[in-house]
Amino acid sequence: MKKLHQKRTQTLVEQDFISQEQASEINNYRNRDFFSLYNELKILLYLSVVMFSSGMGILIYQNIDTIGHTAILSLLLILILVSFYFCFKNFDGFKKTETTFSNPVFDYLVLAANLLSCIFIGYLQLQYNTFGTHYGLATLVPTLVSFFCAYYFDNKSSLSIAISGLTAYIGLSINPTAILDNQIYENPDLTYSALGLGILLILWTIYSEKSKLKEHFSFIILTFALHLISIACIANLFETYWFVFELILGLSIIYFYFKSIESKALSLFFFLHIYAYIGFNVLLFKIIDLLSSFINFEFYILLGPVYFVGSILLFTKQIKNFNKKNNK
Amino acid sequence: MIAYDKNLLDNSILLDEAKDLKNAGFISKEQFENIHSQLSHLKTNKNLLVRLGFFLLGCLMYSSICGTLSLTLFQLFQNHLSIILLIIALVGIIGLEFLSRENYFGQGLDDAFLFGFLTSLGAFVGSSTNGEELLVALVLTLAAIITYLRYLHLSSALIACIAATATIAYTSFEIGEITKSLLPFIMMLFANIGYWLSKGTLEKTKNNYYYKGLKLANNYCLILFYLAGNYLVVRELSIILLGTETPKGQDITFAPFFYIFTFFVPVAYILNGLRTRNRIMLWIGVLALTFSIYSIRYYYALLPLEIALTIGGIIVFFFSYFTIERIKEKELGITFKIDRFLNSNTLANAEILITATQMSIKPTAVDGSKMKFGGGDFSGGGSSGNF
Repeated sequence: MKKLHQKRTQTLVEQDFISQEQASEINNYRNRDFFSLYNELKILLYLSVVMFSSGMGILIYQNIDTIGHTAILSLLLILILVSFYFCFKNFDGFKKTETTFSNPVFDYLVLAANLLSCIFIGYLQLQYNTFGTHYGLATLVPTLVSFFCAYYFDNKSSLSIAISGLTAYIGLSINPTAILDNQIYENPDLTYSALGLGILLILWTIYSEKSKLKEHFSFIILTFALHLISIACIANLFETYWFVFELILGLSIIYFYFKSIESKALSLFFFLHIYAYIGFNVLLFKIIDLLSSFINFEFYILLGPVYFVGSILLFTKQIKNFNKKNNK
Repeated sequence: MIAYDKNLLDNSILLDEAKDLKNAGFISKEQFENIHSQLSHLKTNKNLLVRLGFFLLGCLMYSSICGTLSLTLFQLFQNHLSIILLIIALVGIIGLEFLSRENYFGQGLDDAFLFGFLTSLGAFVGSSTNGEELLVALVLTLAAIITYLRYLHLSSALIACIAATATIAYTSFEIGEITKSLLPFIMMLFANIGYWLSKGTLEKTKNNYYYKGLKLANNYCLILFYLAGNYLVVRELSIILLGTETPKGQDITFAPFFYIFTFFVPVAYILNGLRTRNRIMLWIGVLALTFSIYSIRYYYALLPLEIALTIGGIIVFFFSYFTIERIKEKELGITFKIDRFLNSNTLANAEILITATQMSIKPTAVDGSKMKFGGGDFSGGGSSGNF
């Protein structure tokens, strides 16, 4: 492997693309005995947090109404406090820009503390009815804790928990598996709330970019917003007022189009095209449905390949366009 | 043998190298732009999402072409499904050849045609021989090897590996009862031969083009070797393939060997991976070890899942914490310093995605009945019971 890369670097030198000094610097770097376990150990840390909090979550719900539950509850509280103590102690303090812990272990400790507090609050509500019948509060409080962890400690995983908490507050369970199972939008009223939340999220990114508050969070928030708005609109395309939602979908796609080019976010760019394509095809089918009495069905089958070739060409052009604008 | 213009292919490989160097910060962005604009190269999509998008579009196009063809073909060959499948396979290979002459390589569309070709070829052999598995596997192995040698797609290299394994397995079924029951050992032997062959070729080869495919075959053999002797795999497959139910209180033949193998091999992989600085082997070793723990837990669950998860989490946390503390200051050897050639962005994104799928706050029940929520979606198969 090393030899192969060395040869390639040498070819780059021979073709006058890079200087000999650069090549020798590169070769020196490659030839050291250097084996970084940075990524691997971080994955292990992450997995350990996920495992521990999942285990704790099950353990608590299984021991409800037994003698052990107070013990587990106090243990949980102590764990949360200790985790937060170490996080605060090792953190330099809040900044509006991107900040990191000097040791990445603490990033995962924040996540652990965050997850455990969510479990703790959920358990309090279930067992002692802390928030009474204000069920909204019971999701809002963990959400606020997550937002605090996300913005104070600059933790993106906490941010995604917090946004999922917001969607839970309006009654949605939004996560990628829920989207795949298509279980979200059984209730049309929910889609309106989802639309509203999506728009609020966009407004929040505009505000935070203006006030330079954690601008690097925008990408995650916008990703949530794009999926919320688009899926809510697409779900409504089969209802009575479908043309209104076709319009909203179109407008949001246009907004995200410019936004994704501006922030060089290829994944946003990709997904907005998927949603735009779905929206357009639904529109097309509605038109075909209208014309069904005039035009033969076989005509469309013959037209199929032409349509897909056209789509491919268009998509190719868009990707090229994106890369061109991105490289400037 | 290779379908692409050699010059363009060489340039593409150089461009990859330049991109690595740019990402590692050894050459400036301007320098890379210069290289990018001066070297004409193949049409490739490096971004997996975009490639997937083109793959899906390609599949739509491929199936719509086949649909249009079928309209006429069904009238011509009404009772001969296999002929239609053969024609569809031909469409795939012709499309692939056309695209590669148009300098498409790993762009997504060509992947779709390759995929279409191999699946419809397999279906053709299957339907014309009444589901003769051995023949399907054999034909697919040959077809995948040839397409790999000509079009260099790693996916066809992987299909070649899997189909070759299937061919060996079906052959040993055909030969007789003895080879059938010795299947784990035959697979181990096959993996061993494959491993040393590919390793030898890798060290000798000066050929840039087949490097990745050989590497893939090499690592595939590592995985196959482990799985061939894994206790769970052996026991479950012997139930499915041989129809021998293991009675309660008894164990499979050679059980002690398989127990030892299940744990010895992953540990050997991990240690050897660390010693030879082989990252992929290390990864395979860690994943294999996780699977080993799952395998044993599948039969002998010493602790309930939630306690195992909690304790496992604590152990893994402190293990990684103390390892980090120990190697934090080291500059060389096994270290915690960031490697400039490795990208940790993908990892961070994956973490956010996993958190979003597994750890979301659930909505509360609106009707006021007893609700269940909290940090974490604990239900279902999402959480792995590895520990």
